[in-house]
Amino acid sequence: MALGPETIFIVDLLAIFAVYVIVNLSLNLEFGYTGIPNFGKVLAVGAGAFVAASIPGRIYAEIAGIQGDYIENNLSMVSQINVWLADNTGIGFVVFFLTLGIAAGVGAGLGLLTSYPAIRLRGDYLAITLLAFGESIRIIGNNFTPLVGGTLGVQVPDPLSFLPGELRFPVATVGLLLIAFVVYVYSEKMIRSPLGRLLRAVRDNEVAAEALGKNSTQIRVKIIMVSAALAAIGGALYAFYVGGTIAFAYDRASWTFWPFLMILIGGLANNKGVLIGTLLFVTLRKFIIFFKDSFQGFVPFDVVWLDFLLLGVILLAVLLYRPQGIFIEKPTPTISVNGKPSGLKRMFNFFFK
Amino acid sequence: MVIDPIFSDAIIFASLLALLSIGLTLTYLTTRVPNFAHASFATIGVYIALIATRVWDSTPYVAIPIAFVISGMVAIALYTFILKPLIRKGASQAIQMIATLAFDLVVIALLNITADYIVKTYQITSREFSLRSYDGEFMGLPLIVFVAPITVAILAITLHVTLRKTKFGIAMRASTENSDLSGIVGINVKLVYSVSWLLGGGLAGIAGALMSLWFQGDPNLGPQLIPSIFAASIAGGFLSIYGAIAGGILVGLTEVLGTRFLAGEIGSWLIAYRPLIPLVFIVVTLLLAPRGLAGINWSKLRRNGTRA
Repeated sequence: MALGPETIFIVDLLAIFAVYVIVNLSLNLEFGYTGIPNFGKVLAVGAGAFVAASIPGRIYAEIAGIQGDYIENNLSMVSQINVWLADNTGIGFVVFFLTLGIAAGVGAGLGLLTSYPAIRLRGDYLAITLLAFGESIRIIGNNFTPLVGGTLGVQVPDPLSFLPGELRFPVATVGLLLIAFVVYVYSEKMIRSPLGRLLRAVRDNEVAAEALGKNSTQIRVKIIMVSAALAAIGGALYAFYVGGTIAFAYDRASWTFWPFLMILIGGLANNKGVLIGTLLFVTLRKFIIFFKDSFQGFVPFDVVWLDFLLLGVILLAVLLYRPQGIFIEKPTPTISVNGKPSGLKRMFNFFFK
Repeated sequence: MVIDPIFSDAIIFASLLALLSIGLTLTYLTTRVPNFAHASFATIGVYIALIATRVWDSTPYVAIPIAFVISGMVAIALYTFILKPLIRKGASQAIQMIATLAFDLVVIALLNITADYIVKTYQITSREFSLRSYDGEFMGLPLIVFVAPITVAILAITLHVTLRKTKFGIAMRASTENSDLSGIVGINVKLVYSVSWLLGGGLAGIAGALMSLWFQGDPNLGPQLIPSIFAASIAGGFLSIYGAIAGGILVGLTEVLGTRFLAGEIGSWLIAYRPLIPLVFIVVTLLLAPRGLAGINWSKLRRNGTRA
C-alpha cells in the first residue's frame, strides 16, 4: 500500500500542527496568560530537540552494543540502531519516553535560568535579554560538535522503525496529535484552576495581586519552568518526527516569531484560538510550499520570500486591525465543584460558547 | 607600513556599531520601543551601495546620502503607519516589539527579492558579496579605515550641536523627556518624533553603505547584527546618545580584539563563539548595571577612588 501525495500532505500537515500546538500552548501560558514576553522561545524548543538528538541514540548504542563515535559515524550507527530497534520495540519506547522526560527536565532547568532575568527585569529589557538567550542556543549547537554534530547535524533514531515504511509517518502523526491533545487538556485545566486565575491577576495588576498576598515572583518562575518544559517536549517530538536535528533549523523566525504570530492570529489568552491560529498558519505555509513550483515561473525571485512577506504583512494587519485575534479572551469558567454538565452540553459549549 | 588587518577590522566595526547604536537610541528615546528592524535599515544601505557601485559604475561613497534618505524613509514608514496607530490604540510594549519584528520580516523579504532581482537582471553577485576592491587607498590602507571613524565623529558632533544649540534640538530633547508638557508649550511632538525616526533610520543607512566596503553584504545581515547593536545600545544605557557611542566602541572593540586575544590564549576554536560576546554584554549589563555606561556616576566613582 503506497500513500498518495494528498495523504502524505495531510499527514505531514497534522504532525507539524501537533508540534506547533504544543509549543504555542506553552507560549500562550507565558505570554497570553502571564504576560511574560518570551522572545527566546526557541531556547527551550531547541534544547528539547538537542536532547533528542544527543541522548537516546547513545543510550540505544550502549544497550545494543554498537561501537563507534556517535557523532562521527552517525549515519551508519543510527541505521544500525534502527535495524536493532525494529526487534526491540519495548526498549525503544522506554527510552523514547525517558528522552521526553529528560527534555522536559532540561527545559525546566533552562526555564529556571531564564527566570533569573525575568523576575528582575520588565518589559522591553526582559524581551531583549530573552531574545539574546534564544540566539545563543543556535550558536552553541552550530559550534559544539558533540551535541548535535555542528553544521552537519545528526540523525535521530526512530523508535517506530518496526513499522513498514508507509505506515511510519501516519502512526507518528497520530501519536503526536494524542500528545498535543494531552497538553491541551492539561493547559485548559490549569488555566481554569486557582493557579490560572492567579496568572491573569499577576498579568493584569501585579500590585493588586501582591496586595492580596500572592507571590508574583514565585508564580513567574513556576510558569516559565512549566512552559519551557512543555516547549522542550515539543522540540524533542519534532526531532523524533523529522528523524534528524540540525542546529540552524532552530532560528528565531521558526520557533519564536511564528509561534507569536499564530497565537496572535488566534487570539491571546485563549487556547481555542491557539488551535485555530496554528491550523490556519500551518495550512497556509504548507500550501505555499506545496504550490511553490507552480509559482516559480511567474515571479523573478525565490517564492520563499513571498512567504515571509505575506506572513509579515498578515501579522501587521492583525496587530493593527484586529489586535484581539479571532477569538477574544473570555472570563474562564471555573471547574464545577458539584458534577459536570452533560456531554452534549459540553460539546455545545466547546463549539459555540 | 604594515598593520595587522585585525586593527582595521576593529576600528571599522566599532565605528559602525557606534553609528548604528546612535540610531537605535534616537528611535528608542521617542517611542520607548526597541526597534528590532533597525539592523535591516542598515542592510538597505548595503544594497544601495551595491547598486551604486556595480549598476551605476560609480564609487560606493555615492551611496551614503541616498542610503540616508531611503533608510530614513523606511524608518518613518514604520513609525507613521505601524507604531503610531498601535500607540494610539494603546497596544502594549510587547505588541509594539512584535510589530517591529514583523516589519523586519517584511524588509528582509523585500531585500531578498531585490537581491534575486539584481542577480537575474544584471548578472551581479548579490549575496555574500564584497565591495572591498572598489575602495580607494590612503597611506597603504583602505580608505574606509579612515572614513568610518571620521564619519562617526562628524555625525556625532553635528548631532551634539543640533541637540544642544538649535531650537529644534532643544524641542527634541524636551519631547523625549516629557511629551505632554512639550505639547502644552507648543512643540509639535509628532513632527519631532518623525524627524528622530528619519535620523535614526538614516544613520543606520549610512552605516550600511559604509559597511559594504569592508564586511560581506547579504540580505540576512540584519539578524546577525542585531545582538551586537542591542548590546552596544544597552551597554551605553539606551537613553543617552553619548552612551551609545561609548557602548558601540566598547562592544565593537571587545568583539573583534577580545575574540582574537582569547583565541590566542585559549585556542582557535573560540573564534566561532564570537556571536556570544554581545549576548554576554546584554545579560551582564542588564543584570549588574541596568542603566549602562551613562548611568554610572563617574565623578562619584573618581572621588571614591582617590579616597581609597
